[in-house]
Amino acid sequence: MELLSSLYEVAWFVFVVAAGIAVLEGYFYYHFKFHDRPWFFWAGLAGFPLLAWLGLGAAGLGKEGLFAWLFATEAVVLLFFRHIVKGRNSLAYLLLAPAFTGLALLLVYPFVFQIYLSFHDLKLTTIMQWKQTGTLPFVGLRQYYDVFTVPPLAEAGFFKLLGRTLWWTFVNVFFHVLGGFALALMLNNDIRFKGVYRTLLVIPWAMPQVVAVLAMRGEFHSQYGFVNIILNKIAAFSPFLASLGVGPVQWLSDHPLTTCMLINVWLGIPFMMVVILGGLQSISSSYYDAADIDGASYFQKLRFITLPLIKPVLMPAVTLGTVWTFNNINVIYLVTGQAGGTEQADILVSALYKAAFTYNRYSYSAAFAIVIFLILFAISVFYLKTFDAAKEAR
Amino acid sequence: MATVKFAGIVKNFKDNQVLKKVDLEIKDHEFVVIVGPSGCGKTTLLRMLAGLEEISGGEIYIDDTLVNHLHPSKRQIAMVFQDYALYPHMTVEENMSFSLRLKNAPKKEIKARVAEAANILQLGKLLHRMPKQLSGGQRQRVAIGRAIVRQPKVFLFDEPLSNLDAKLREEMRVEIAKLYQRLHSTIIYVTHDQVEAMTLAGRIVIMNQGVIQQVGTPIEVYRKPANLFVAGFIGSPTMNFIEGTLRVEKGHVRFSSPSLSLDLPSKLLPADGSHEGREVTLGVRPDDVCAGREAGKNCSQKFDSVLEVSELLGHRENLYLKTGDLRLLATVEAFFNQSPGSKVPVCLNFDNMHVFDRETQARISA
Amino acid sequence: MTTDAIRAAGAEQAAAHRRKKLIKYALIHLGIIAFVCVCVYPLLRIFSVSLRPGDKLVSTDLALIPDGATFRSYWSLLTSTHFLRWLWNSLVITVATSFIGVSLASTAAYAFSRFSFGGKKAGLILLLSTQMIPAGMLILPLFLMIMKLGLMNTYLGMIIAYSVSSLPFSIWILKGYYDTIPRSLEEAALVDGTSQIGAFYRVILPLSTPALSIAFLFNFTTAWNEYLVARVVLFSSKQYTWTLGLFELQGQFITQWGMFAAGSMLVTLPVLAVFLYSSKWLISGLTLGSVKG
Repeated sequence: MELLSSLYEVAWFVFVVAAGIAVLEGYFYYHFKFHDRPWFFWAGLAGFPLLAWLGLGAAGLGKEGLFAWLFATEAVVLLFFRHIVKGRNSLAYLLLAPAFTGLALLLVYPFVFQIYLSFHDLKLTTIMQWKQTGTLPFVGLRQYYDVFTVPPLAEAGFFKLLGRTLWWTFVNVFFHVLGGFALALMLNNDIRFKGVYRTLLVIPWAMPQVVAVLAMRGEFHSQYGFVNIILNKIAAFSPFLASLGVGPVQWLSDHPLTTCMLINVWLGIPFMMVVILGGLQSISSSYYDAADIDGASYFQKLRFITLPLIKPVLMPAVTLGTVWTFNNINVIYLVTGQAGGTEQADILVSALYKAAFTYNRYSYSAAFAIVIFLILFAISVFYLKTFDAAKEAR
Repeated sequence: MATVKFAGIVKNFKDNQVLKKVDLEIKDHEFVVIVGPSGCGKTTLLRMLAGLEEISGGEIYIDDTLVNHLHPSKRQIAMVFQDYALYPHMTVEENMSFSLRLKNAPKKEIKARVAEAANILQLGKLLHRMPKQLSGGQRQRVAIGRAIVRQPKVFLFDEPLSNLDAKLREEMRVEIAKLYQRLHSTIIYVTHDQVEAMTLAGRIVIMNQGVIQQVGTPIEVYRKPANLFVAGFIGSPTMNFIEGTLRVEKGHVRFSSPSLSLDLPSKLLPADGSHEGREVTLGVRPDDVCAGREAGKNCSQKFDSVLEVSELLGHRENLYLKTGDLRLLATVEAFFNQSPGSKVPVCLNFDNMHVFDRETQARISA
Repeated sequence: MTTDAIRAAGAEQAAAHRRKKLIKYALIHLGIIAFVCVCVYPLLRIFSVSLRPGDKLVSTDLALIPDGATFRSYWSLLTSTHFLRWLWNSLVITVATSFIGVSLASTAAYAFSRFSFGGKKAGLILLLSTQMIPAGMLILPLFLMIMKLGLMNTYLGMIIAYSVSSLPFSIWILKGYYDTIPRSLEEAALVDGTSQIGAFYRVILPLSTPALSIAFLFNFTTAWNEYLVARVVLFSSKQYTWTLGLFELQGQFITQWGMFAAGSMLVTLPVLAVFLYSSKWLISGLTLGSVKG
């Protein structure tokens, strides 16, 4: 019964979304159609705000000053259509309207809201005030100042986290590309069971990440995880290796960052392998034939044919991989996120997540998020610039 | 069936004018072929008639109705696309009946019309296949069948044969000719292949760079090309062009170029003082370069040339000749028994010689 | 040299060549198999743990099929936890999300593929740049919005939070696919009497089912595997998605280890099957997007 009512609720929601889209489309349609009629200007100015006001009021969302807001918005929309959009490409805009409204409400608005938060003070003590009145105390740049001076978590401060993040990103991407390249080169031969190998090799990527990470976390358990069991057996089998320090490690408590890195490298290699393999297969074999005739060795071929020709595929994948790794909360939070978990493995984004939802420092983490975003933005711009330069140099 | 009229059609793509004031009238039941090199605007003109391309200026009439702003489906036209544009997710039958189903025509009528078209094009056995399972020629026939089912006022063909191989192309050409005899409706056919144009057309429209160069029957455009472009475009192998200057001498005009000088008969070009010193291009088709023959009636005086290469095509033979610095192509009956390097006497047939003004490019000879 | 000698020398060379090739291929196979073990072993481990009898949940045994293998863990997972309910919650949220996401993406991608209009380039860049926004960054404002709307701990809150997250990628994939459909098909449909929208609905959409299903699968897997938003929006065990549920089980490491493993197997196998089945298209879409971007 409960299940049915929840289903009904969801179906109703989907219906409301559809109805909302229909209203939106109709609204724009008439603006496109009659944008140059004088009567429509006045009728629209009077009619639409009234309809919206009544509709929102009926939905229980009416509040003081709403009508004036609606009226002003409608005037802007009418003028916009009349003088800028006119009737052109109406169909294209109508097709785009639902998706971009969705993006505006659930991507752009939250982004703007985040910026708003970062200049105000929302925390556990002010959240009731915000819920009831919708207003917050303005604090200017204080949150940004705090980002750099007050550690987001119990110990590590901003710059330590930044350094750890860069290290984490570099190590991961490096091994992803290295492993992916090695596997792709091996798979790009005319060997038997190629399809089977490929299928098995993408399993870490194909598994639900939550399962993969949680299972691996279990396997790094100091006593019962297979990693230490295997290390134990090796040490027992060969005293020489044991004397070199091979033996069980307290992974989760002593080396949480290394553990996370090992898990994430394991997770990320298949994606790179698949992308690189695709690139390798698109290189025409005639280049290699020509190089063979010219007497090139295996490594010369790798250096002068494979690498330059794989670059257009590799560069975007590396950029994407860098951004993903930089932003990877999942692995670190799932490994260390339990109550009382360690904070030694946290990178910027996971610290942000914990600051917001474990410590409830909302505005602080909003400012923190903006700072991270700016860093990432700079990195991306830098990446794209070098990529463009490389493109032009070719 | 219907007439079509283009009046002052202009098309701009951004800053680029691809059609410059095109005027053309097409009569009822006429098979008109629009031909020209790629990028000359012929397909754009056709697509504007179909309503698939916006009209930047001018007017298009079908049967005296202005159709500039009419939806494509309201223009009562049918179009056969270059890539056939068969809906891949529908069977042959569904493809052919799509337009009628959209109109909610009675089932009986749909069936009858599809059956009729299938009968004409021998598609009966293929009706339940998907386009993927058809050969190129069969797809072509389905595309034409889809057009026939609509019973349009005007058929539009947009380079329909260019995706077929040479042999199939010839077969389909004959089929389209037969189809025209049977349907006898207005057809506008766009192609870049002048052979298709010559063999199919009742009237040929030759276009270049957004301008109509000449409109006429195949024989007219072949025998009396209006300008250098038409002369060079129509006919295969292409016409020989000789650049030179005109001199008016007593009673006739003399053409002179570094390698060759000819006295032109007044029948070809009257001895008019205005020709004095005019820069011209002389055009002679390879068929009219008479090799191995002494000068005769209607032929220029003999001159000597050297045979560089000869190509045997079967019943004809191409001779690549050289006179001074001038290279000429002659086509003669096979077998022309001379080895490369030998001397060949040549004269040019005056009956099919053309003189073009170099500046205006227009033909000035009779 | 006699011809026999030459032939013998040639045969020897060929044999040497073959031997070299054999060694090379053996090495390649060995290398790949080593990697395959690393990739597959953890999954097999989960399977093995899920079969362990209750008294041997924790052991230092490495055998894949443990002594006294039993499906007890599966049974107790289904009967003593909300596991089925978690799966159901995930399913409802995910299907609704994917449905909304793909519907919005299909029309928007069509506009990007077929029309030229003011702001097209800006729109595409906007789509790409949303991929640069840290995923974790928007969780906070979304969480606050959902709280303000009173949708905490509900399906709707989750659907709202998820619905546009895969939108840019879906639009990108679908646009790429529409681009490969010849325009003449729509033009033929226009001549046959459909409107532009009709041509989209009757010709383009039916032809795009492969791309639409890929977009759907992508939306589906993203939402299905999501953890971080669910973590903050849902707080009662009955409303959990399976990711939260498994995290809870795994948290109590020693006691629930078997049930966690059993649950992992149950959610992983279908996802794995779908992924492997669709990976060809998904990968071509991914590389297409990344190469173009």
